[in-house]
Amino acid sequence: MREFEYVRAGEVGQAVAMVTADPETSYLAGGTTQLDLMKDGVLAPDRLVDITRLPLGGVTRDGDVLRVGALASMEELAADPTVAERLPFLREALLMGASPQLRNMATIGGNLLQRTRCRYFRDPAVSACNKRRRGTGCAAVQEVARMHAILGASEHCIALHPSDMAVALVALDAVVHLLGAGGSRSVPIREFYLLPGDTPDVENVLRHGELITAVEVPLLPPGARSTYLKVRDRASYEFALTSAAVALRIDGGVIGEARVAMGGVGTVPWRATTTEQMLEGSPPSPEVFAAAAELAITDPYVVPGTAFKVELAKRTVARALRTAATQGGPR
Amino acid sequence: MGASVLRPDGALKVSGEFAYSSDLWLDGMLWGATLRSPHPSAWIRSIDIGPALAMPGVYAVLTHEDVPGEKFYGLENKDQPVLAIDQVRYQGEPVALVAADHPETARRAADAIVVTYGEREAVTDPRVALERRMLVRHQPVRVGSTFSADVVVTGEYEVGMQDQAFLGPESGLAVPAEDGGVDLYIATQWLHVDQGQVAPCLGLPPEKVRLTLAGVGGAFGAREDLSMQIHASMLALRTGKPVKMVYGREESFFGHVHRHPAWMRYEHGATLDGRLVYVKAEILLDGGAYTSSSPAVVGNAASLGVGPYEVDNVHIDAYGTFTNNPPCGAMRGFGAVQACYAYESQMDRLAAACGLTPVEIRIRNAVSQGSRLATGQVVDTPAPLAEMLRDLDAMPLPESVSRDLRDLPGGVGQTTHGDGVRRGVGYGVGIKNICFSEGFDDYSTARVRVELLGGEPHVLVHTAAAEVGQGLVIIQAQIARTELGIDHVTVAPADTQVGSSGSSSASRQSYVTGGAVKTACEAVRERIEKDGRPLEVILQDGPIEETREYRHRRTFPMDPVTGQGDSHTQLALCVHRAVVDVDVELGLVKVVELAAVQDVGKILNPLALEGQIHGGTAQGLGLALMEEIQVRDGKVLNPSFTDYLIPTILDMPPMQLKILENPDPNAPYGLRGAGEPPTLSSTPAIAAAVRNATGLPLSRVPIRPQDIALA
Repeated sequence: MREFEYVRAGEVGQAVAMVTADPETSYLAGGTTQLDLMKDGVLAPDRLVDITRLPLGGVTRDGDVLRVGALASMEELAADPTVAERLPFLREALLMGASPQLRNMATIGGNLLQRTRCRYFRDPAVSACNKRRRGTGCAAVQEVARMHAILGASEHCIALHPSDMAVALVALDAVVHLLGAGGSRSVPIREFYLLPGDTPDVENVLRHGELITAVEVPLLPPGARSTYLKVRDRASYEFALTSAAVALRIDGGVIGEARVAMGGVGTVPWRATTTEQMLEGSPPSPEVFAAAAELAITDPYVVPGTAFKVELAKRTVARALRTAATQGGPR
Repeated sequence: MGASVLRPDGALKVSGEFAYSSDLWLDGMLWGATLRSPHPSAWIRSIDIGPALAMPGVYAVLTHEDVPGEKFYGLENKDQPVLAIDQVRYQGEPVALVAADHPETARRAADAIVVTYGEREAVTDPRVALERRMLVRHQPVRVGSTFSADVVVTGEYEVGMQDQAFLGPESGLAVPAEDGGVDLYIATQWLHVDQGQVAPCLGLPPEKVRLTLAGVGGAFGAREDLSMQIHASMLALRTGKPVKMVYGREESFFGHVHRHPAWMRYEHGATLDGRLVYVKAEILLDGGAYTSSSPAVVGNAASLGVGPYEVDNVHIDAYGTFTNNPPCGAMRGFGAVQACYAYESQMDRLAAACGLTPVEIRIRNAVSQGSRLATGQVVDTPAPLAEMLRDLDAMPLPESVSRDLRDLPGGVGQTTHGDGVRRGVGYGVGIKNICFSEGFDDYSTARVRVELLGGEPHVLVHTAAAEVGQGLVIIQAQIARTELGIDHVTVAPADTQVGSSGSSSASRQSYVTGGAVKTACEAVRERIEKDGRPLEVILQDGPIEETREYRHRRTFPMDPVTGQGDSHTQLALCVHRAVVDVDVELGLVKVVELAAVQDVGKILNPLALEGQIHGGTAQGLGLALMEEIQVRDGKVLNPSFTDYLIPTILDMPPMQLKILENPDPNAPYGLRGAGEPPTLSSTPAIAAAVRNATGLPLSRVPIRPQDIALA
């Protein structure tokens, strides 16, 4: 780990100014991903501005919107009664996303920025990584890949977005609030993440120094059914091979509204819009779910180690839809 | 004896107060770091230590040129350089050492050493190594001449490279002594074999290299080979200061040997009613870059390669290869694990071919006392395998597929709500040699002293036997209490100030060190009885102390051509039944229950014994379903606990146990070593259960979700 300077920010404006002024300065929140990457030599900031004492926490409800402070912990959000009642699949995603120790440290803003587990990205001894250094190539495409993306991927990068929580938030059309030196702005979460294209090092729309201050999450309508399904190599403490966040509103035997997003498959949390379109207006039957799940993966970018995900992801979506329709009701 | 006495380290470990070797501390000590090869195979063109030496806080930078004595070490064959000389043969091989006043400084200085490598072809496919006869050992077993039968089943099987995955990384503290020697505090499995390798490399007589066991955080075979013992001592002797070394988790994956991955081809012939006529097998174990204990591992795979079954005609070739993969050596089960997975998979195929149940085919061929193994060795102690299988079969099965979501595949992930779940049941049988084999003299030594402390008799038991978490300290105390009838028993820290106890491996310490403690206690008791006066009176003249060595009965090498010979001391059996629920759509497996029957001869401590059976079973579950060091082109892809998966408590089901006590008259108290056998039989039982649920062949472990869902 390289030496760095540590500063604790006293107020939000000061933190933004400090980071904006210096390209080698970064924010430090829960640190659960960042410190690992610094120890591994993947990140080497000159200075960290600790924002954990800033007044950016809290979870508050305003009508049918939940406002989540960027510094709220994963555990805090998972334990929120509104989340349990109106966003149960978000709660499931949070609980399955990390151990209690990590959930107590990791923040919501930080989780949105969680970095990929791609082993080539995390090993500076591997020179070919476009995400670490643009133009160096992609070792994952050439060598062994398994926990990698099949959607939004290209020959430049197949690194997977590892978050579970973000998958549910993408399904919910959450809005990310940002504060920069030039003022604040709000970005729908689906526009927040950027596909790697030929610039895999740019993962989102954040400008340097811009700070996530909050996330607004629209609540599901009362009576909606939802589930978060995570397929993994062991029962706990493991990233997804595939996952699905599904919410359905079923009115009079017809799906009125469907929200479907997938994890474990995309370079960004992946919304399955075609699946949703087919579902809406259809009866909630296993046949419909299977057919809709077939549409969830189109034009995958596969390498030998990831080919299995195409079918597994479809089954995951179909299963999640069946589960939500039959058992994902209000608890 | 026979009571569930709590071990002294248990509560401390649970509450975080136990002092592990990584907690060692001396004021003024330096920190050591190791520079390792990034390449599986390369020439070393040059090493420039200048930039590292120039860094403030750096006290020493050492290469192979600084090794004071012999340049090579090894358990069975001294072929491993203390530090790489002109070439590296595996990724992670130590090249240079640094001592500095801060661990981070030491790491940075190691990074600052400039090594110029010339990469060369790495041999990483053991099948290529076999073709080129790059062999650490080839052990055939030949008996009989009938190799045709009415029913023939063949199969090819693979076992991935498992890691011991102990939680306490390699660590130790070397303190330079006034006599020019070194005192080494170290987490290890066998102090004296360490001493015997460290001293020559330091150019010191053994008495100047004194080892004391530091708190061990698990071993499972991974601490049988040296890690930093010589390195820390070299740095301490060079700098004149105490030097501590602690590997990080990633470094630990490169700092110890692993379980040999295996490629196996089996052919079983049987009569129509399922009686074995012959077994042919080719077992290929990759030993990686250095010898380690591969020869003995290959020997076990060969001698136990047909399992605990009676068969008159056997043709086995077991090979261990040299490659540029990570070195492999000792791990719980030691060569018997890989073969067990293959022969048990074969027994299931044979059962299907003969129209028999898995239990029936095993009973029909089971060994018993008096059976002759493929090596010609007669099983001369109780081996009630058929009875064990009947007991196992009679255990109640868990209820049908649960409706409790937490019990279904995916666990708390709630990946299924019961649809697409199929139940499967499978059986596994394993046979393991206890104590070292093939003529090895792995004796143990115990010194027992009785003295008056505060007017009351106290016993001090002193051995060099390593408590690695298996519960040996409490067993020694229980034996002393039982033999001497004195309540106050202290077990002294293990060190080299007493004779060797051999290794804490091969499930042997209760047997051999237990035997030594028992024998020394008997000698003390004999003196007391001979004296005739009351104990308190005798002890007023001074302490009574006796030291005894204990040896198990002699074993013999395997014939290099036929594999014949009485190579094993004691044979232990364990049988498992696994019940699994498999989500066939998503490929998820939930092990619902594991039941086991094991014959341990004599139960010394029921609680400790059950812990060993649970733990060994869990390690076998890990191999069946998730544990594998992924190696590609000689490079380890997953050296972390994020990427190398071991079972969590949610993956491990409750167990039903039945423990038999058919004594072995050759062993102290009739006991039979217990730690390893459960590791053998749980893996094939789980694999068989998943096959039973899915109908898939599944000829490789670990079985991954995609192997099931997308077969």
